[in-house]
Amino acid sequence: MTRDELNAHRLVKEAQEANARLHSRRHFLKESAMGLGALAMGSLLGSCGHLFSSPQTKIAYDPAHPLLPKSPPLVGKARSVIYLHMAGAPSQLELFDFKPELMKMDGQDCPPSLLAGKKFAFITGVPKMLGPQANFAKYGQSGALVSDNLPHFSTMVDEVSFLKAVKTDQFNHAPAQLLVHTGSPRLGRPSMGSWVTYGLGSENQNLPGYVVLTSGGSFPDAGKSVWGSGFLPSVYQGVQCRSEGDPVLFIKDPDGMNRDLRKASIEAINKANEQQYQEYNDPEILSRIAQYEMAYRMQISAPEVMNINDEPAYIHEMYGTQPGKACFANNVLLARKLVEKGVRYVQLFDWGWDAHGDNPNNSLNIGLKNKCRTIDRPITALLLDLKQRGLLEETLVVWGGEFGRTPMMENRNGIQNPFKGRDHHTEAFTIWMAGGGIKKGFTHGETDEIGYSAVSGKVDAFDIQATILNQLGFDHEQFTYPFQGRPFRLTDVAGKVISEIVA
Amino acid sequence: MLEFFGRFHPVFVHLPIGILLLGYICILLSFAAKFTNLKPAIPIMLLLGAFSAVISCITGYLLANGGDYDGKLVSNHQWMGISVAVLSFVLWIVYQKIKSKAILGTIATVLIALVSITGHLGGSLTHGSDYLTAPLKSDSKKGGAAIPPIPNVQEAFVYQNAIQPLFQNRCYSCHGSEKQKGKLRLDQQDYILKGGKNGHTIVRGKADDSELMKRILLPLSDEDHMAPKEKPQLTANEIVLLKWWIDNGADFKKKFKDLHQPDNIKTILISLQKGESGAEQAKTSDIPAEEVSAVDNKILKKFTDAGITVFPVAQNTNYLSVNFVNAQSMGKDVLDLIKSIEKQLLWLKLENHKVNDQTLTAIKDCKNLTRLNLNNSGITDAGLASLKDLEQLQTLSLVGTKITMKGINQLKKLKKLKFLYVYQTGITKGDLAGIKKILPKVSLDTGNYKVPLVAQDTVVVKVP
Repeated sequence: MTRDELNAHRLVKEAQEANARLHSRRHFLKESAMGLGALAMGSLLGSCGHLFSSPQTKIAYDPAHPLLPKSPPLVGKARSVIYLHMAGAPSQLELFDFKPELMKMDGQDCPPSLLAGKKFAFITGVPKMLGPQANFAKYGQSGALVSDNLPHFSTMVDEVSFLKAVKTDQFNHAPAQLLVHTGSPRLGRPSMGSWVTYGLGSENQNLPGYVVLTSGGSFPDAGKSVWGSGFLPSVYQGVQCRSEGDPVLFIKDPDGMNRDLRKASIEAINKANEQQYQEYNDPEILSRIAQYEMAYRMQISAPEVMNINDEPAYIHEMYGTQPGKACFANNVLLARKLVEKGVRYVQLFDWGWDAHGDNPNNSLNIGLKNKCRTIDRPITALLLDLKQRGLLEETLVVWGGEFGRTPMMENRNGIQNPFKGRDHHTEAFTIWMAGGGIKKGFTHGETDEIGYSAVSGKVDAFDIQATILNQLGFDHEQFTYPFQGRPFRLTDVAGKVISEIVA
Repeated sequence: MLEFFGRFHPVFVHLPIGILLLGYICILLSFAAKFTNLKPAIPIMLLLGAFSAVISCITGYLLANGGDYDGKLVSNHQWMGISVAVLSFVLWIVYQKIKSKAILGTIATVLIALVSITGHLGGSLTHGSDYLTAPLKSDSKKGGAAIPPIPNVQEAFVYQNAIQPLFQNRCYSCHGSEKQKGKLRLDQQDYILKGGKNGHTIVRGKADDSELMKRILLPLSDEDHMAPKEKPQLTANEIVLLKWWIDNGADFKKKFKDLHQPDNIKTILISLQKGESGAEQAKTSDIPAEEVSAVDNKILKKFTDAGITVFPVAQNTNYLSVNFVNAQSMGKDVLDLIKSIEKQLLWLKLENHKVNDQTLTAIKDCKNLTRLNLNNSGITDAGLASLKDLEQLQTLSLVGTKITMKGINQLKKLKKLKFLYVYQTGITKGDLAGIKKILPKVSLDTGNYKVPLVAQDTVVVKVP
């Protein structure tokens, strides 16, 4: 060590010692007296809290058994939720929102009144109007309008409630998807399924309470955050299962490892974790122990439940499944099986609905029509199958995208797209719900005569979340989780139950 | 300005109550030899109590002049209050002249009695005369619907059977015989038509011009919104009904059938008949009115240990939902467990292939059971006999079992049964008429739905 280095070393050491002296125990007590006093005061006042605030829903979170079923504050109509999300945003104008007036304007320049002060994801300059690219007819006793893109689903309109005037304030996929599922367009909030499993647990301790299934060849744009648990305990995040091969990777015991050995090793790991817990008291360690135990049980029950091959042929035919492939129909059948076994929340994402018209697969009269083929039969089968098993009464099914599509034809960078397509649209789109105590054969909300903006019955993502929680027995305003010093809710400071569609 | 001082009345009234009560206790204590040293403090307490009573009387008088209160109750409260003030002065004087324990004790006791009565009357003025006893009465009227069920709704009177109970439960506490906030009374026809301070409370035939409707329809955050934010709100149906009544001339004599009924009113009337005037009511109707005791946690733990999930259907009830989806065995111990929660069992899922006729014998006395799922279980017609007395049953799901019409015939008594799921059983659509005969309310689902192949199914649109 050179002299300089030695000196530098001494100086550093001296500085550290001086620093340490400043932080003696006496110093700590002196400095923190005020702070400790304030803390004590705070906890004293805290016990008076109930005098000033309305009662919050009490969720007893037991880190050792995080998924045991819990009671909702009120009797819920629905026990489970199946959320079918068409990622990319399907065009309401080609599926449910029929606008004959728009047909008359087809090919005309878009009136400036519709463009002034508005922002679009891709449209620039003056686009042309685009009439409906499908034929509509009235169906069922309710007389709901459905396009010929969904010939099977059109027979089910008397089972569902349409929300035709849904609005959002996000015109890009990822933030809009986050808003729909987490109540915030930015990352970091728990998703709806996490809230629900946090609040209700699950009725099957051998399966995850919140399962996510994706199809369409790509994840939703918002990535895995869209089923994340945010600030809720991590055990409540969605468990993504695969519909091809093993439902969960490494679910089979490796060669040479038998069940007893597996059990012994998990017990050993849990013992080590328990020691850690004694030392640090971190509840996440208990969650981890519970997760190991569940994983062990899942090894038996998951492959059985997740295996759709055991279903009879007529069920496969009904859903239009393609065994061995990762497709929407398989996921829908799986969703029914999971709900039947007591899984609380099944979230499906089907990618490929972003019909801009920039290529044939993204066009309204080619890609969209083919895409509709892949969902029409499965969603119809799902509703019928739930119904005949007595499950539709207690299962809430939600179908929708993250936003709608413009009545104008997209002109990316001012140049007309080569195929018929529409841009992202935030002002109005359609979502439907069925089962779980939702009115049958009902339509709420209306758009103007060209489907540009909502005229009556406007609802937004928060209203839909409030309604879903309401059907499960929660008051969305009372259902909170304390984080960073304040109670958080899924619906933040907004949301109103859409009582019009509640049966 | 004077009314401003009057508003301090609720603050000041607590002083004489507290001070005089303390004085009374000290007087009684000072009778004992051990506490004679309290004596010098007593006159000061009595004097302070007397003065604060006077201040309370004055502020009270100013507050009462501000109006809004029932004359008779106020006058009783006033004279009682004055007598408290006078008697406390009397006691103060007497205490210094007379040493007789009997006389002092009597006067002091009378004084405390007066203080209590005055306090109670004051409380009745602020909180309503039934405030104290309300928790003792049936709490069915709390929250929920304000309009009780009307059995034969078309023959009932609009005002008497619907509007009056609505006013009574939502408005009387501030606009009734005891208080008249804004000089408005809603408890009698003349007063309703006369209206309040701003008049036009009800404009016959024009709900939109009626102050009553305007206030009800203001946003909840508005200061003038009625009912006040912290009080129970009118439900959507109640508002529609009230508007309909005013639009039709706010008649006090007519029956429902005398007024024109648009579709939305018709549906509300049907729900009135069933006793669901609001969404809240519909929610609670899922639980039987009769309360049951909570099941011991030890028993619940036994269920959990056997892989059976059990939990109350909602936080405010002891009725249980039980799910056997993962039950490892259905032995006698499990059956005994079910029997131990007989009363509390509301929803039951026995969807498990280990379930058989033997299992069903355990639930034959679960009289409160409303939902029962036996899908894909090993039960037969013989087992259904165990269900014959479950009269509260509303949903029965028998999908994938060997049940036939013979089994269903045993369920004659289940008159409340609304849904019967018999997909993949021996029951066919042809049996529907027979089932309708014994279970008139039931909606039968034989399932077996098909999604037919249509031409479009196989069409793949290609790039032209």
